[in-house]
Amino acid sequence: MKKIKIGMVCPYGWDSPGGVQTHIRELTRHLLDEGHQVSVFAPVTNEESIQEDWLVNAGKPISIPVNGSVARVLFGPIASSRVKQWIAQGDFDLLHLHEPAIPSLSLLACSAATGPMVGTFHVSSPKQKAIYAIGPILEPIVEKLTARIAVSESARKTLKEHFDTDAVVIPNGIEGAQYANAQPTIHWRNPNTLGFIGRFEEPRKGLQVLLAALPIIARFIPDVRILIAGPGDGDEFIKGLDVGLRNRIVFLGFLTDQEKASLLKSIDIYVAPNTGGESFGIILTEALSAGTPVVASDIPAFKAVLENGDAGLLFKNEDSSDLAKVLIGLLRDSEKQKQLSNRGKLSSQKYDWQVVAEQILTVYEMAMAGNEKVGLISDNRFWNRR
Amino acid sequence: MNLNQIVIAALVLLILWYLTFLASRLDRLHHRVETSWATLDSLLQKRAAIATEIVRESNIDPATAFLISNAAHSARDAGIAGRSEAESVLSEALKMIQEIAYDETLELPSELLIELSDITSKIRLAINLHLESVNSARNLRNKIFIRLFRLAGKAPLPVKYSFEDDAL
Repeated sequence: MKKIKIGMVCPYGWDSPGGVQTHIRELTRHLLDEGHQVSVFAPVTNEESIQEDWLVNAGKPISIPVNGSVARVLFGPIASSRVKQWIAQGDFDLLHLHEPAIPSLSLLACSAATGPMVGTFHVSSPKQKAIYAIGPILEPIVEKLTARIAVSESARKTLKEHFDTDAVVIPNGIEGAQYANAQPTIHWRNPNTLGFIGRFEEPRKGLQVLLAALPIIARFIPDVRILIAGPGDGDEFIKGLDVGLRNRIVFLGFLTDQEKASLLKSIDIYVAPNTGGESFGIILTEALSAGTPVVASDIPAFKAVLENGDAGLLFKNEDSSDLAKVLIGLLRDSEKQKQLSNRGKLSSQKYDWQVVAEQILTVYEMAMAGNEKVGLISDNRFWNRR
Repeated sequence: MNLNQIVIAALVLLILWYLTFLASRLDRLHHRVETSWATLDSLLQKRAAIATEIVRESNIDPATAFLISNAAHSARDAGIAGRSEAESVLSEALKMIQEIAYDETLELPSELLIELSDITSKIRLAINLHLESVNSARNLRNKIFIRLFRLAGKAPLPVKYSFEDDAL
């Protein structure tokens, strides 16, 4: 494929943490590694925090409340004219817009530009659906996208419900090597250690299901322990627990990416007891590529990642005794653990950025089949023609 | 000029604007149907060529070989009417190659097999894009304003082929 120049638009504040930002950052690095040119246009709160020279600052984002959480986005007449300027100066072969159906820079770019455009839809949780509710007004704009990508089956379903259009499913990528080559941390490395990562205070992450299974497991595996990582107040949480359980649980707090990889490498089994509302389960793919056996609830997103139980074991959602049964069986069977570890490593390869970026490039290639370049709609108006 | 006239003039302008807006939307979608079909078409041609090549360079039994190369030939020669059927037949025939791909007694050109699986996934993607553009164009053409003012002009109604559904 010939080298192309890509304009990428990030809807959310670049310096606030989030899945979309991570996705764009990692995808951009891979595209640059392959020799393409990329310019990312994003709102930025604190300009000094920017390290990437391919990032173009669109201005300060504003916070708008979206169903209980806060989205940091940017729109309005000034942002709109900046988008146009960026497109006009960029001389892009293709625009890649993330989350183009919410009021943001991506939507502005989509409405201002003509030519090959690819849109990626990330949203899928039912909670955030309302943000797409302005559907009919946006339809003529979203319709301009030459190709649409959804990051998961459920993101695709959300898109279908709101816009009556389909999308290609290309999963979120992960830096597979980072997890596969991580070093275990010695004091985390004990026999019969389970791991849990996530906002443990949220009921939908399902930690309570795992904790309810713990007494049963402890009866059969006396030295079982759980390492819990993630933002939240561990001390407060542990007070509400049975005294007998407390010494089996270690709270590690919030971990960096590197520490997280090391944790995944150190534990024997990663447990994902989430009760619902997950669109993809990127943590599962990370555990798989670290070669750690995974036990997860049988919600649709996890079933898909674990290939119906081939790449990791499933238990009945919200059923602690089933979880206990599966975990006891697996902890006692080191042969099975080894087998799952190999199988998991193999199946996680398709989530590696190497593979995922290649798929995205194929979509780019097809979107550019018309041999057009990106331009501005306003340049085509007859009074603007030169 | 009284108020009535101004209101009527504004209304006429608004309708004119809306009609050109709809027409340009439709034009864009028609254009996309064409380019997405062109992409798909060229990939299908390539697939038929690879299928022929695989048969030529391997020692699979003559019956299978005949089926596959025959299907590939008719897919390449088919006119508009027979195209869909011919591509379906080729898809089926190529499934046989996938079934025997792991048979070690056969000498199969592995490079071509990789190329085939590559092109198959590209075709799936191209079909997805083509179906998507056909659907949006057809949906828009159903709008009452577009039908009433014949904004589609003489452009043929975009169609999807039945082989596109099997391949997904």
